[in-house]
Amino acid sequence: MDLQNLRVQIERIDTLPTIPKVLQKLLKVIENPKASITEIGDFVASDAVLTSRVLKVVNSPVYGFPGRISSVSQALILLGMNVVRGMLLGVSVFEVMEKAMVGLWEHSLGSAVVARIIARRKEVKEPEEVSIAALLHDIGKVAMSLKFNDDYKKILFTAEKNSLFIAEAEKDFFSVTHAEAGAWIAQKWNFPKGLIEAIEYHHKPHLSRNVPLLSSIVHFSDILIRAKGFGFAGDSFVPAVHPSVWTLLNFSDAEIREIFDEIEDSLGQSEDMLFKEE
Amino acid sequence: MVLSNIVNRMLKEQFSIVNFSNIEASLDYIYNSMPDILVFDGVTASTNAVTMLNELKNDPIFGQIPVLMIVADNFFVADWEAFFVEDYLRIRDVEKDLLDRIKLCLHRSERVVEVNPLTRLPGNIAISKQVQSRLDKGDAFALAYADLDYFKPYNDKYGFSRGDEVLKMVGRLVMNMVKGRQPVGSFVGHIGGDDFTFIMDATVAEQAAGDILENFDRIITTFYDPEDRATNSIESVDREGNKRVFPIMGLSIGIAVNIEKKFKHYGGIIQVASEMKKHAKESDGSCFRVDKRHYAKN
Repeated sequence: MDLQNLRVQIERIDTLPTIPKVLQKLLKVIENPKASITEIGDFVASDAVLTSRVLKVVNSPVYGFPGRISSVSQALILLGMNVVRGMLLGVSVFEVMEKAMVGLWEHSLGSAVVARIIARRKEVKEPEEVSIAALLHDIGKVAMSLKFNDDYKKILFTAEKNSLFIAEAEKDFFSVTHAEAGAWIAQKWNFPKGLIEAIEYHHKPHLSRNVPLLSSIVHFSDILIRAKGFGFAGDSFVPAVHPSVWTLLNFSDAEIREIFDEIEDSLGQSEDMLFKEE
Repeated sequence: MVLSNIVNRMLKEQFSIVNFSNIEASLDYIYNSMPDILVFDGVTASTNAVTMLNELKNDPIFGQIPVLMIVADNFFVADWEAFFVEDYLRIRDVEKDLLDRIKLCLHRSERVVEVNPLTRLPGNIAISKQVQSRLDKGDAFALAYADLDYFKPYNDKYGFSRGDEVLKMVGRLVMNMVKGRQPVGSFVGHIGGDDFTFIMDATVAEQAAGDILENFDRIITTFYDPEDRATNSIESVDREGNKRVFPIMGLSIGIAVNIEKKFKHYGGIIQVASEMKKHAKESDGSCFRVDKRHYAKN
């Protein structure tokens, strides 16, 4: 398939499916009239698919400020409860590759948790924007496996058999990786420029011109959460951190250890909050 | 003539009706008294009469009068753009449906309030009606008046379409925060430019103002380019045309309360809210001020 055609196919995606346990919890959340906007926001911000749906709506030309909003809490405030509830009612689930998607879902959530911790340490003004970028960095994987399910299974299989990274196997097959595919979708859905760039360059943060810090944190979080062994991004080994990121973030060994401890605490809390039995 | 007899018989109980045998004769009456609805006999009307009706509807003042056109049973039109009417009814259905169609037409035109084209929030006329009717009923309520600080330099630097984006965001923000605190009985309007207003119960108005300001300060930075976000300021020109550095926009809100002081007129309460807003503007950054002065009972 040529590149142009591939892009058209990916851009034709209107909505992405999530995993069943998210949908079950989602229905509980939106059917609860007492659920506050913060509760709904925290829940939405734990799932890449719900988050991308919310950002797509708030950045659509209908509301008149396309490409401006990259945080879920801000999006919910501007959309209002009724729009949010209505929009979330239409969410569907993956019917195939469920196991792989659950692993990816955990990987995305974990990356977001790590990114928030690092953003706070680096005193970034809106840490939520950083964690959202990390949450969405692999959205291209969801898109590719949705649109080209059989091909994507082959890619996963080839990657494992030949000890390749998934991105390499994707590139061999499609001539682009999930990073580009994710950026195409993000662009099509009018996401803010910085967010698009962070998704596009999460494997090559040194090429990010406008948001080098954001792209570097996303890159670093993606790798750190794999090293932690939380979730499954699809690769059987952990890629190296790009040297430019070590320079830019400039963490000491002691700080890295502190970050790992913080991750431990936060991951426990996130999962408890999301999936405790009521 | 038969048609006008039927219409008169059906409507006279609930409406006051004035009959004209042709549109030329009716115009002077319409210009002077602004009827609530026109029932137009499209069965016998000439092409010229339709043109005159369309011209009347083209006038922004008279365009809002709803028109119900009665048509022949075999009436067919390929392009409705040739008729500036709100609804139509076939002769054979007049006896059965006329009264309900008229009522529905009137309800529909009441629902269509005049809105600000940018934010789609109710505009000035709708706002003054809303305030005056609450004052006339003697309701206790708080009226807030909000405007942006340093909107002009932003507009000058980034251009008016970026400025419009900010206004649309503010409209949406104010509406959701107000409806969030008080879903029923609250009102939000866009006076024009960067001026907004909202009406709520006095018990929740300050909380809503707080919500608005807190979220405005968080969201507004994303409407600036990264280099301006980094310095928290922009370089633009002041009213005299001199280059100056301006802070990131803030929002100032003034609140007047119609409990202790019973306002009679719309202008009076707006005036107090506007004074409070000026007071709020004196401090740096986003803030709100409530009229806490004591008034002698009249």
